[in-house]
Order: sequence, then C-alpha cells, then structure tokens
Amino acid sequence: MPRLITVPMVILALLMTAIMVVTLTIPVHASDDDSQLLKEIDRNLNPESYESYRKLINIEPDGKKKEYVLFTVKKGTDKIASLFISPASEKGRSTLRLGDNMWLYIPNVGKPIRITSLQSVVGGVFNNADILQLDYTAEYNVEKREDNEKEYLLYLKAKNRSVAYDRIKLWANKTDKLPLKIECLTEANMLIKTLYFKDVKDFGDGIVRPSVIETDSPMYKNYKSVIIFAGIKKRDVKDEVFTLTFMPNVESLRSHGN
Amino acid sequence: MKPKKNRVFVVVLIFLLFFVLRSTSVYGEDYSFDVSEIEKKSWQFGGYAEFSPVLFKLNEESSLYKLGFYDKDKKSNIKEYNFKVQLEGSYEKGISKVFIRTNSELTNSYSEWSDETAIYEGYFSLKPSSSFRIDIGKKALKWGKGYAWNPVAFLDRPKDPDDPELNLEGFIVGCADYIQSFEGVLKTLALSSVVIPVYEDINDDFGNINHLNFAEKIYFLLYDTDIDLIFMTGASITGRYGFDFSRNISTNLEIHGEFAYIDDYQKRYTDDYGNIREEVDDVRNYLFGIRYLTTHDTTFIAEYLRNDAGYKQDKMKDFFSLIDTGYEDYLVDGSHSLLNKAINIQGKYGRNPMKDYLYFRVSQKEPFDILYFTPSVSSIFNMDDRSFSLSPELLYNGITNLELRLRTSFLEGKEDTEYGEKQSDCRVEFRARYYF
Repeated sequence: MPRLITVPMVILALLMTAIMVVTLTIPVHASDDDSQLLKEIDRNLNPESYESYRKLINIEPDGKKKEYVLFTVKKGTDKIASLFISPASEKGRSTLRLGDNMWLYIPNVGKPIRITSLQSVVGGVFNNADILQLDYTAEYNVEKREDNEKEYLLYLKAKNRSVAYDRIKLWANKTDKLPLKIECLTEANMLIKTLYFKDVKDFGDGIVRPSVIETDSPMYKNYKSVIIFAGIKKRDVKDEVFTLTFMPNVESLRSHGN
Repeated sequence: MKPKKNRVFVVVLIFLLFFVLRSTSVYGEDYSFDVSEIEKKSWQFGGYAEFSPVLFKLNEESSLYKLGFYDKDKKSNIKEYNFKVQLEGSYEKGISKVFIRTNSELTNSYSEWSDETAIYEGYFSLKPSSSFRIDIGKKALKWGKGYAWNPVAFLDRPKDPDDPELNLEGFIVGCADYIQSFEGVLKTLALSSVVIPVYEDINDDFGNINHLNFAEKIYFLLYDTDIDLIFMTGASITGRYGFDFSRNISTNLEIHGEFAYIDDYQKRYTDDYGNIREEVDDVRNYLFGIRYLTTHDTTFIAEYLRNDAGYKQDKMKDFFSLIDTGYEDYLVDGSHSLLNKAINIQGKYGRNPMKDYLYFRVSQKEPFDILYFTPSVSSIFNMDDRSFSLSPELLYNGITNLELRLRTSFLEGKEDTEYGEKQSDCRVEFRARYYF
C-alpha cells in the first residue's frame, strides 16, 4: 500500500494552516508606523489643545445614578485641567495634571493638594487618570500591532511607572482610526477596566469622535460608568492656566455663551 | 438608663434618615446631557445647610470640666444641637469678580441657645490676564501643605485638626498673584504678595494695631516638586520665614513637609497661682507627612508636628493645677478669683498646645462594594504626655448633594495630660449636610 499521507505533506498542511492563521490576524512588531497610527488615533479623539464639556455618570447595579458635569481644558501633550460644574456638592472643585503631577482643589479646603493617578475624586470606576486623560502617545509606547479586516489592535506599554495602567490593549476602527474598545491592564495582564467607545458624532470644526464612553470593571461587578461629551472644540489657552495658583480660577475660562 | 435610651433613639433616627433618603434618590436607565446644564451665569449662588446633633460624655474628674461647669448643674452627659448655613455668591463681569461667603451658626447646648454669623470671605478680584490677579477684601489664604496642621500658614487662623477640611474665616488683605510657566525642570514660578493692615476694627485680632504688614510667597514647581518660600514682616507680629514642599514619589505615595522660623516669639503662660509669665525666644516649628494609597484603595495619612512654640509638660501641669486649686477654693468659699484667671488664659492652652504630635488617618474607599461609602479612623497622639484622641467615622455621599457623617471621638489620657483633662472623654456626632 502506498502511503497517502507523507511527512512532507503534513509539514505542508501545517505550514498552510499557519499561513492562514497569520493572514487572518497579522501580528506586526512595533514600528514608527505604529507610533504614527497611535498619534493619529489621539488626534482623531481630541485636538491637541481643546476645551470640552463632559458628563460622568456612575450607575449602580440597581440603576441608581450619580452625575458630574465637568469643563476641561487641555494643552499640548502634558497639560490638562478640569472643573466640576455640578452637582452642587462638587461645584468649584478643580483638578490639574501637569505630566505626572496631579492636584485637586476643593473650595472648602481652599488650597490645592497633591493627588495620585490611581485615586478617584468621583468614586466608582473612574480614577483620576481617566478624568485627566492625556494623549496615549504621551504615556505609552506601542509594543506590537495586530490587524484584521476591520480593526487594528495595538498593544501599549506604559513609558514609566508613574502611568496609571501598565498595559493597554486598544482596538481601533480601520476606516476612521477611532478607538472602539480599550482594555486597561496591570503589568501581569490582569484586567482593571474596559472602555467602550460609542455613538460617533460630528462636534464641528472637523472633530468627529465617539460621544459616549462606557466603562466597566471586574473590580466593580455590575457597576457601570459613562462619559458623555456635550461639546468639544479647539482652544489654545496660556500655559499659566495649568498652574496651582490658577486652580481656583478655572471657572473664568468658561465663556458666558456656554 | 435614660442616656442609653437617647443613644438608641439617635442611632435609629440616623438609620431611618439614611434609608428614607436613599430610597428617594433618582433611579433610571436613560442618561442625557442638556446644554442648559453647562450654561454659565454672571451670578452664582450656592452653599450648604447642616444639622449636627452631638452627644458628649463628660469627664467629671477633668480640669476643663471643672472650669466649664463649676457653677452649673452636674451632668454626666450633655446634648448639643448645631445648625449651620454657609452661603456663597459671586458676580463676574469681564475681568472683575466679587465673591462673598458667610457662615451662620445656631447652637443649643446645655439648654441655652447661641448664634453667630460671620463673613468668612468677601473680596473683589481683578484678573487682567491668566498670569496676573489682584484680590482686595477678606480672604482665607490657607498656605502650607500639611493636612492636619500648617506651621507656615502665617496669615490664617489655625485649623481644627479634628476636621481639617472646614472653611476658615479669613483676614482683610490685599494680594497680587503673578504666574509664569516655563519648559524644563522649572515648570512654574508664582509670586504672591500680600498686604495685611492691622488697625482698630480691621484684623485687630491679628496682632499689634496701627501697622501695615507684608508677606510674600514664592512658589516653584521644580523637578516635579511643589516648593514654597514664605516671608512675613511687619510690626503687628514678629518676623516669620517659612518653607514647604510636596512631591509624588510614585502613583500612590506623596510626601510633604513644612518648616517655619519665628523671630522673638512671645509665649505667655501661667504658673499654678495664676501669675502670668512671658518668655521670648526664636522658635522653629516643622511638619513632615505622607499620604499613601494601597492597591485596595486604603489611604493612609501620617504627619509629625514639632510645635516649638508649644508648652512643655510642667507648664501644662501648672495650668491644670491652677484650675484644680481654683475649683477647691470655689467649693470652700465660693471664690472665683483663680478660676477667672484660668478662664482668661484658657485660649493659650487651646488646640494642641504642646510640642510634639502625631496625626494618623486611615480611610477605606467603598469597602464591600458600597459606592460612595468611606469609613475611616483618625487619631492625634500627643507624644509629650502620651494622651490621644481616636475618632472612627462613617461617611456616605451617595445621594446627590447630601453628605451624611457619623463620627465618634474617644479622648484618652492620664491625669494632667492634654486629652485626659478635656471636658469630655467621648463624643458622638451625626452630621447631615445638604449642598445647594
């Protein structure tokens, strides 16, 4: 009896299977192109310098909600400040981030105090790093990239230990290069939280981005947090706005039209 | 048995209030964002209203109990009902802004009502650019980086380490802030210049009257570290120089410190016969602290305070002896003389009057998956006489604009110690605060 299946045939079959798998999901090691892609995703999400109005909603398992409205200004890669507009109990609080430095100003306390990125000024799933999010390129390097027909999957690694999440997996749409989903992970790849980007909206001035970000976390089972963007527009403010001394005055940046 | 009944009643009331309010909060699946929610108005108005019943268990053997209650009916505990309204309003037009904050308190204690209203802050601001701002009026500056104490807060009234986040009444000042940002290791430089006038009816509790005083704070954000250099001069009080810093060592660890040098500090004290003495010396007060967050969301705050301006144990003993002797005289012949002397100087022996203190606070964010619930324990330990306070606390702010706090404080110490001689050795306080 001639042998129908020979060793070279098996090797060939395995090779073909491997090629098929590889063509379906192509792992590509990090390159300048990947860093450029991450930059594009950053720019599609936000202009480098902007102002925005966001609402944060914490939703408990029984449907009970707590809402916060924030005004935010960001400049360049490492400066961002936010002001709580409501509810009344939080009104006037402002947060400032200058690179790895973060502060919280509470009107009652009357002076800025240093906070850390892993703390949370609003409770629930969001921590301070989520609220004062800088560009991903400012904090992360692309380790590798995987592509399929419709999506990119970027594996990001924190540039230093002061970044809130050691690793991030970022899925982005190939057509508009906007994030679809982000998983925030520890150094040991343990999932901390997942962000889902939804409802792409045209905010004008060329800014087309998801208007809703839903977040859940295995650490807060059945809890959900949502960020809704009401407005975002390009704005360049002076560097002096991003200082401790200016923190009690962030409200003055809001125009009466808003 | 009556006090026990009262305690049960208070606890039941707290829980009923908690659950009724919780059940009336907003539920729903939909979320929306209306543009009217972000509309900015020229006029802004807000504040909070607060109700806090307090139950004190009195320490009938203590000196300060004798001083406070020598001519009143003896009681083992007293109830106090506090009502507080803090209002604030502002009007903004162009580069100018007017701001006012008032504080009104109504207290029922020992079957007597008392009330007090004060303007905590009220000032006019001009902000020609984001780099420059001028404020004129009554303002609390709140300098320093410490959580429980601030040795460098030369222009502020001392804060209460038992409740460090309370608003404070300011002084009437004129101040100008100038900010400059840079690229590089020095990211920010800010200058704050302050003029504080002290005249009859203007800041007359600050120091000697009929003088203008000046202070300067220079702030640097240098190598990711906040640094302040502070100077103060004027004839109302002696010269003061200060330094403070704060820095994040990692994503979950912050360190801070303050150092203050005061020229010719006048320390007034009494001997055990009620004779007032005075010492003049240069003093060096300092503080060092950390704030640490664990992976389980437990926050630790620890601070050490060296209060060089404070009293040694023998001076404190003299004060307590004066009260005890005065109380015995009162019992024997009704004489108030020594007790009045003690009352007159009591303010000098007020909050944390001795030299070395430790503050410790541990708080757990949202344990057992209870959102917006923060239990904590804080303690102040007097290292000189080994007396201390220990305050467990439950805080819930899950209902929009409502904050509920239940707090108990135990004061422990031997005879002639700071906490051992306080009026009460235990207090239970419930506080409901509604923001609007």
